[in-house]
Amino acid sequence: MAILKLHGGKQATCTRRVATVLHELQVPFELIEVDVANGAHKSPEYLKIQPFGQIPYIDDDGFLLYETRAICRYIAAKYPEYGLIPTEPKANALFEQAASVELTNFDPSASKAGLQLWIRKMGYPFPTDDKIIADNLETLEKKLDAYEAILSKQRYLAGETITLADIFHLPYGVFVTYAGSESDSVMNRASRPNVARWYKQLISRPSWLAYLDGVTTTTAY
Amino acid sequence: MVLKFYASPFPVAGGGIVALALAEKQAAFDFVPIDLKTKEQKTAEYMALNPFGKVPAINDDGFVMYESRAICRYVDEKFAGQGTTLVPKGTKERALVEQAVSVESMTLFPPLDKVVWEVVVKPERGLAPDQAIVGKGLKEISDTLDVYEGILGKHRYLAGDDFTLADLVHCGYLPFLVEKGVDIMTAKERPNVARWWNELMSRPTWVKLQAEGMKSTV
Repeated sequence: MAILKLHGGKQATCTRRVATVLHELQVPFELIEVDVANGAHKSPEYLKIQPFGQIPYIDDDGFLLYETRAICRYIAAKYPEYGLIPTEPKANALFEQAASVELTNFDPSASKAGLQLWIRKMGYPFPTDDKIIADNLETLEKKLDAYEAILSKQRYLAGETITLADIFHLPYGVFVTYAGSESDSVMNRASRPNVARWYKQLISRPSWLAYLDGVTTTTAY
Repeated sequence: MVLKFYASPFPVAGGGIVALALAEKQAAFDFVPIDLKTKEQKTAEYMALNPFGKVPAINDDGFVMYESRAICRYVDEKFAGQGTTLVPKGTKERALVEQAVSVESMTLFPPLDKVVWEVVVKPERGLAPDQAIVGKGLKEISDTLDVYEGILGKHRYLAGDDFTLADLVHCGYLPFLVEKGVDIMTAKERPNVARWWNELMSRPTWVKLQAEGMKSTV
């Protein structure tokens, strides 16, 4: 059986999200870099596989799949012993609730602000906008007040154990902190101690630390 | 105790998606209307159900949850073996449904949400739509539907030949555009999208829901 191939970018945000989950599940994978700078993701050959012209996608021994959260769900379902997607119906429903919260209450503002803050930090030659960053961080602050309420009752977003729903908050959960400092940022405020506790747990996981310099082919754990 | 379903009484948006899923699963439920005009969803009592202060939410004999797409998955699982299967059990089949659901959430919904805000919500509040935002949003939606045209040329529904959650989630917000006279779903240049959309809008569960509204089954 061929090694799983992750087609994406070494530093690309969504590629990193998939790599983090692959690492959590100890799945060997080969990173195949897509030459986004030269428009490889918009070529007719690429569009046949990913018709929206986006990265990443995976090739799992011939099974092609795109959309990072669908990819992560597929891999997690193959290795249920890690518990990243609970299977008991109510626990599963609470996982889906938390995953939907990330999608609708976190990602819209976190990805807009986070992408721009990441571009600035990496020094990429793309335009950024102070107002877009500020407005989205303001929205995110309010959403995280609801997170504080949830995380004051339980350790992780879907219950007492970590699930994909928590991990989906990477990497944008880290990028939005680039607007602050290590001791005071939107994810780490004295006024939201439970969010800070949860955030610190996420970023100390080996799966996040493994790719701090970018995603690399990983064949052994 | 029968499942309690909290939503605004109009079969649209997130509440509409859940109402359609409950109908597809032939599920029994007690409907509890939440009045968005008086901001009932922001009261302390409601926010005990959903700390984000949004509708819909359910309380299934003490099991409380929110987020319409998550509720649909739970309802599909709880009532497995009756009605329509919204998420197939096979690993790869399910992955393809999740792929299509993710496209709706991440690519179609963001501009659609903005356009609906401009053409539906603002006029209700006596405000004029910003045509620049509407134009930009409709272009993004149209570009996504061009990709759907290719996908729907290969199979009947978005994730294969069966109706699934991936198709169902499109019934919450796109109908707003159609109602406002935006002809985007039946454009002649996209015959596959038009065919698929007409099939969705003729589903008996959908037709009945729009005709009768949100009604307790008990």
